[in-house]
Amino acid sequence: MDAQRLKDNFAQVAQHGDAVALFFYSDLFLRNPRLREMFPVGMSHQRDRLLAALGRIVSQVDDLHNLVPFVQQLGRDHRKYGVEALHYPEVGASLVTTLRYFSGRSWTEELARDWTDAYNLVSKVMLDAAQEDASVHPSWWNGQIVAHERRRFDLAVFRVLPDRPFAFQPGQSVSLEVPARMRMWRYYSMANAPRPDNTLDFHVQLIDGGPVSPVLVRALRVGDWIKLGPPVGTMTFNERSGRDVLLIGGSTGLAPLKAILEQIAALPNPPRVHLFFGARYLDGLYDLDDLQKRAAGMPWLTVIPAVSDQDPGPAAEHGTLPDVVGRFGMWQNHDAYVCGSSGMIDATVDRLLQLGLSQDRIRIDKYADA
Amino acid sequence: MTSPEIHAAQRLTPAELQAVNFQRAPLGRRGFDEEQVRAFLGQVEQELVRVLNEKADLENEVGRLRERLAGGGPDAGAIQPEDAHIQAVRILSNAQQTADQYVADAQRYSREIAEEARRGRDEILADARSRATLVLEEAHRQASYAAEQVAPSTEPMSGDERRDLEREIAYLRTFSDVYRTHLRSYLEALLRNVEEWEKSERDSLAGTRAALPRMS
Repeated sequence: MDAQRLKDNFAQVAQHGDAVALFFYSDLFLRNPRLREMFPVGMSHQRDRLLAALGRIVSQVDDLHNLVPFVQQLGRDHRKYGVEALHYPEVGASLVTTLRYFSGRSWTEELARDWTDAYNLVSKVMLDAAQEDASVHPSWWNGQIVAHERRRFDLAVFRVLPDRPFAFQPGQSVSLEVPARMRMWRYYSMANAPRPDNTLDFHVQLIDGGPVSPVLVRALRVGDWIKLGPPVGTMTFNERSGRDVLLIGGSTGLAPLKAILEQIAALPNPPRVHLFFGARYLDGLYDLDDLQKRAAGMPWLTVIPAVSDQDPGPAAEHGTLPDVVGRFGMWQNHDAYVCGSSGMIDATVDRLLQLGLSQDRIRIDKYADA
Repeated sequence: MTSPEIHAAQRLTPAELQAVNFQRAPLGRRGFDEEQVRAFLGQVEQELVRVLNEKADLENEVGRLRERLAGGGPDAGAIQPEDAHIQAVRILSNAQQTADQYVADAQRYSREIAEEARRGRDEILADARSRATLVLEEAHRQASYAAEQVAPSTEPMSGDERRDLEREIAYLRTFSDVYRTHLRSYLEALLRNVEEWEKSERDSLAGTRAALPRMS
């Protein structure tokens, strides 16, 4: 397999952008009409994701050390969509057809062989990872809503009881699918550490015009069922460091930090924890009561609410999270965990670096807009 | 991609158009309406996809015609099965693009309505706050007046202290009467409002539940 030849050919094909993925899916569905059901009606995001994943795989095709974990995760992640071993050759056939179509006259027998070999390799890694995962975990979990609370007109907190044991690390997230929006999986963080009763809490902010979050906030009722994928995410608590802890959450970015907070609370000797919880308006601090109640019983925990777009008076600090965190002192000897919108995370991480915190002590979790 | 710089050596792709981010104009400098720029970029992106599609189709067509000429076989005029498949792919792709367009339009529409509703809510809240201030001022004014009107007591024992107390009582009684009346009528109006919202929300949700997208 000639890695450079593959990269050159993909660069040429990728110039056609969205048209490549459009052709690929049309070819795939024409050959296998039943596969269409596994995808949402609107396919724009799907095509972007396909091209991004392909681009990443091709760019790392000669760097297996980094490529293999990514491909394994892809394989595990595809189980919840109902992808099975027999689908892989179909996808491979359509992929090669697509590449040949867009390569035009530069297509050769060698290229056909290279692509087929590369695809077989990648699909084998995906399948192996998926099968290994299948021996331990179900493809997805069904979860029933046992509590649903609207904290604001555009914000809800709800509790789910999965039908089978669901093991995860505090700080991780999971993709959810609601029956009213089939095939549209969205990631949300668990807002609690694992509990004996297996229940999971989620915090959801409604995004104007989003397809899924309005359903989760406005239409979900106790008794409804949703699907959950496997837990993912690397913003987990570094228990061995022994350093004090800085938790910074913007709006519902609080959720994974609350899970980490519960994990810390269960330690015999909890480190000092500063939790910064920010929102644009005072009524966006939807979980402050609970946090302050916890802080009252935990001498090692300090909760600092921050409001950026209105003067909150004595109820909270006035300013954006990076500003307020910067105002509060020296964090060099802390481990920082940051979650929120991508703009908030970038600004906060920049500020922490300026304040002398080193990159390897900062863990982040960017949530995608849904 | 975070800057509008376009690399001269590389071709511009639809994905780059989608991801392009412009710096804000410095304070005091006038800029274009952001929504308009986004909408236009969206159009350009769609057009670019279409042009690229057509280009790929044409290149392919040329390739196959060349092959056919070179082969010069007896059935050079007949439609090859492969051609039929490519045509089907093209038709399906067009249909998918139309569907994507409808979905995008629907999402934009719902976002606009939601943003409008959010603005409406903020206005109602601001209105309620200023009304509350007005109600309080009004109650204070009327109560002060009532206190002024307390007639000097005829009882021989009454001193300044007692008169002050009676004034205070009259003030408070009137204040609470006025305040309660205003508050009640205002709350009732708000409640009617909320009930209407809930009804229309229920209706709209019932609608979406009945009309779940189902593919076969």
